[in-house]
Amino acid sequence: MVRDKSHMEQVERWANFIRENPDKWKKQHKKFIDAQIIMSRRFYDKLSKTKKGRKKIILLRDK
Amino acid sequence: MKREVSDKTILDEFVEDFVKVVERHCNYIVVSGFVAIAHGRSRGTEDIDMILEKLSLKDFDKLHVDLLKNGFECMQSGDSKVIYDYLINVTSVRYVREGEFLPEMEIKFAKDEIDYYQLATKVKLPLSGLDIWFSSIEMNIAFKEEYLKSDKDLEDARHLRIIYKDKFSEEEVNKIKKDIRRVRMNGKR
Repeated sequence: MVRDKSHMEQVERWANFIRENPDKWKKQHKKFIDAQIIMSRRFYDKLSKTKKGRKKIILLRDK
Repeated sequence: MKREVSDKTILDEFVEDFVKVVERHCNYIVVSGFVAIAHGRSRGTEDIDMILEKLSLKDFDKLHVDLLKNGFECMQSGDSKVIYDYLINVTSVRYVREGEFLPEMEIKFAKDEIDYYQLATKVKLPLSGLDIWFSSIEMNIAFKEEYLKSDKDLEDARHLRIIYKDKFSEEEVNKIKKDIRRVRMNGKR
């Protein structure tokens, strides 16, 4: 899917928020970044317990 | 602007712990996506890219053993000779915390004059709140705009341009872009 210009506008809006709010952005950012890692870990943990799961994970990483 | 412990993300803590080991052995830089993410870019990543100066097998083995001692493992192999073969053949290898699948540190050896220039011009970036060596902002913008060019990379570059507005050299960005075209793209755009 080709990203439309509203996507870049959102990138710019958020970057400007960071510049203007040096004490506010980190808390929001931490939640967002950590949530992705936690969700992925949960999935990989499940996958690793399946047949050939660990092998699949290595294949996914070597994509 | 040092980050409070509570502000640190899982990625920040992983990178800092990994760097504590690596810096005992060699020069390194963290490059690409994590540079933007450490400055607030709101996108996901599973791997952090690191370039190391080229090491001998003996020195790499010392680094590998130290990483193992500190709770990391390599996804490709436990044998430092096998891992070294990947690295000298310009293939990256991935380390994770033992028993975990992510995040992962994707490491490779410096392979050409561009990489050695990145290492020579490494910087600490206080705005990130992290005490680690990064490739310069100019280098990251140039690579993303001239070489990588995916939507994600162009957005990373735009993000860094806004965060570092009036604080980076456009002239240096252009010089690096020219070098990238010459060294990595056979002079083409």
